[in-house]
Amino acid sequence: MSNYDSIIIGGGHNGLVCASYLSKNKKKVLLIEQKEILGGLAKYSDFTTSFSKKIIKDLNLQNYGLKIIEKNEDIIAMNLTGEHTVLNIKNNRISFQSTEADKKDQESFLKLLNKYKLFANSLSGFMYEAPPRIKSGLKKDLFKLIKMGWNIRKLGKKNTREFMRIIGLNIADEVEDNLNNDILKGLISHEAVLGSNLGPRSPGSVLHLMYKQAIQSGNLFTNTKIETTNLINSLEKLLKEKNVEILLNTKVKNLEIKNNKVSKVILENGKELFAETIISNLDPKSTFFNLIGAQKLETDQIRRANNYRQKGNVANAVITLENEPIIKRYKGNILNSTFIFSPSIKFLEHAFNDSKYNRNSKNPSMKFNIIKKEGKFFIRINIQYIPFSLEKKEIIERENIIKDIANQLKQFFEKLDIKEINLNTPNDIQEDIGTYGGHWHHGEFEIDQVFFLRPFYGFTQYNGSIKNLYMCGAGTHPGGGINGINGHNTAKKIIEDQK
Amino acid sequence: MIDNISYKKPLLETPFHSKTSELCYSNEWYRWGGYKIVKEYTQTELEYTAMRNTAGVLDITPMYKYSVKGKDAKNFINKLITRDVNNISSNQIVYGLWCNENGFVVDDGTIFCFDNENFRICCAEKNLIWFEDSAIGFDVNIEDITKSIGALAFQGPLSCKILKLLEAKNIENLQPFYFDNFIINKQEVMISRTGFSGDLGYEIWCNPSQAHDVYDALFSFNNDYKVLPCGMNSLEMVRIEAGFIQPNADFIPSEQALRPNRMKTPLELGMSWIVNLEKDFFTGKAALLKQKSTGVESKLVGLDIEGDKPAHGAILYNESKKDIGIVTGAMWSPTLKANIAIGYVNKDYMKIGSKVYAEIYHPEELEYRKIWAECKVVKKQFFNNPRKNATPAFV
Repeated sequence: MSNYDSIIIGGGHNGLVCASYLSKNKKKVLLIEQKEILGGLAKYSDFTTSFSKKIIKDLNLQNYGLKIIEKNEDIIAMNLTGEHTVLNIKNNRISFQSTEADKKDQESFLKLLNKYKLFANSLSGFMYEAPPRIKSGLKKDLFKLIKMGWNIRKLGKKNTREFMRIIGLNIADEVEDNLNNDILKGLISHEAVLGSNLGPRSPGSVLHLMYKQAIQSGNLFTNTKIETTNLINSLEKLLKEKNVEILLNTKVKNLEIKNNKVSKVILENGKELFAETIISNLDPKSTFFNLIGAQKLETDQIRRANNYRQKGNVANAVITLENEPIIKRYKGNILNSTFIFSPSIKFLEHAFNDSKYNRNSKNPSMKFNIIKKEGKFFIRINIQYIPFSLEKKEIIERENIIKDIANQLKQFFEKLDIKEINLNTPNDIQEDIGTYGGHWHHGEFEIDQVFFLRPFYGFTQYNGSIKNLYMCGAGTHPGGGINGINGHNTAKKIIEDQK
Repeated sequence: MIDNISYKKPLLETPFHSKTSELCYSNEWYRWGGYKIVKEYTQTELEYTAMRNTAGVLDITPMYKYSVKGKDAKNFINKLITRDVNNISSNQIVYGLWCNENGFVVDDGTIFCFDNENFRICCAEKNLIWFEDSAIGFDVNIEDITKSIGALAFQGPLSCKILKLLEAKNIENLQPFYFDNFIINKQEVMISRTGFSGDLGYEIWCNPSQAHDVYDALFSFNNDYKVLPCGMNSLEMVRIEAGFIQPNADFIPSEQALRPNRMKTPLELGMSWIVNLEKDFFTGKAALLKQKSTGVESKLVGLDIEGDKPAHGAILYNESKKDIGIVTGAMWSPTLKANIAIGYVNKDYMKIGSKVYAEIYHPEELEYRKIWAECKVVKKQFFNNPRKNATPAFV
């Protein structure tokens, strides 16, 4: 009775990638998206630096209009004194342009980045396949586990030991051991905690950094990027060519589960759809509690889904400007630069303190780009920490955030004429896209939520106890960022399972 | 609240405490759910005899009581327990147990149905967290009401007669596993025909303020019928005879077990009769279906042991002296004049009539006598008197 081989719920980039791979394997796919446009969370960033090269090659995305942008880029670690540290990236190589840090510090900074790259690369070998099951007793899984161990051991005795030493560490301890300059320390710490619910002194922040790097092919800072709208458009074009049906503006009410098997998709308009496999591109919490429904879940599953940490902490804002802004004491091309304001570990930890108690940071860290679109200037800014809160925030708090951002930004600009600030807190993102907690990665990258533990025991290989139901969102292995690997892995698993 | 957690009074006292402590000649106390209750009043065998021949009164207030109220109460219970309660009617009670996703028993208890949106669950162990997690997605409100209800078990062949003498109207027509409100000694109380003795018996649920009046009333005909207060030791005797399972003795509640292979499924406990695998969904169904098809490795059975020395904690062997099980509860049964026990045997010996051996260490004045006793595997329910289920009840 099934009209389709697969139905994918959610038109985020992972859903699109998954649909592409399935249709490439001659499956009849239907994709359902609740909004009028595809892309999901991707609309909250203008560029992705982490989209998988393998997928671009596999799907021939460049034939569908995908453009990879490679320009020299500056990373500006901002300082309130005006003495910014400027790093230049050319062909993925980093050099200092101006900095307060001494020669020795500069060298150790670059050495540190190389070390992280080396370690991240040893992890990146496991990104393109389903993680092994530890107690399955299958040779295949045992082999994968050994390969994982060997990949790390291959680093050599000294490096393996160093890897094991730092992997559970907090980033503050790690950089304090190696660097003296506060700005550089703040810069790495910021990158290590961005998008997570961690502070620089939270254990696991080093793992978060490594893991993020492992997903984006090793580099912490890179000058290879893709415009997200371009990416989504080219994927859409590909799907249309492969005759994948796309239902926009369609909301799924829930799934019907019978005898531990998903039997159909029920739309909000009452229509029922059937397929052999149903793939959810939603985050784990929404998949479990909204699509399946807690009533159909065993208590232990409810507990695991409930305890899954998925609280967003980053607000996103688009600031429309009247005219071209001028930054104090920076002479480079502002359109090719990323500005990061996190002047020290202490600053970042203080910003985190507020979020621990569910308050918005008074002095949040910021990361922003300046964009020119159709002659107009915009600032796309990420503000950390603005925690997701279960209680509805009042409008006053929103206005405070907007005021704080404007004030903090103005310190760095000679000229900044703000026309409008369009703020999206994690709560707004949840309301708009539906991702629980408005979390970037559909869940924290912490030691108990990565690899064979992502998202949680019982659903770790893209499917679980409920037959024919798969998950392809960022809540699965390897995890978030706009990289498409989850979609690729899920499609691979489905095709393997059906063999 | 401060009173309850005070270091000076670490264990709570039940509403019947002033009465029971007065009667407790041996001053032996038992800890249950943060309360202290009597282990033995005067002599365990005497109390046991009262329960089997006249009637005994037990304070069971520490039993955890949870109220489940809300639109989805019935659906919630159906998801929670292994039995189907779709056809349950008001004033009915079901005995049920609940499992985790691996089919291991979390706990067992009785579920009282007031109406489709109002239930009460009574069980021996703490379960609030399990219930609340299970209730996510259901429109129900679960509350621990243990403190607000005083409970007495009134068990024995004369229990109905005495309640009738106390002018509890129509009590003899109360069917087993039903409850209703009655007036005894001018106090309106809830009485259910349930119990842990396997005999005719009732459980009385009252407001703590009524506790003394209700307690006294039960002993008011002691000139003719010798009703005795009974301690937990004598309850242990009657429950073994009745073949009832007890958490932390016959099974380790899966929420408390530290070792993964120590938990038990209902099939291993010999409780498959209350597992409804036809039901649409309940926690643990998939695991139990799987176990049903593969079969169990060991099972809780009754043992009829030769001789008269109780096989407390004995290890069970087969003919070639390979150990095949363990005894979880044992006693010399005065009523049946038999040496009985319940225990686990592995799958080759769980058929009724199988022969196994128990190694009994019997202490005799500073020396152990090692006894090699032959046992026959029998049904767990050793004591099964027809008056247990007879309606109208024996008066």
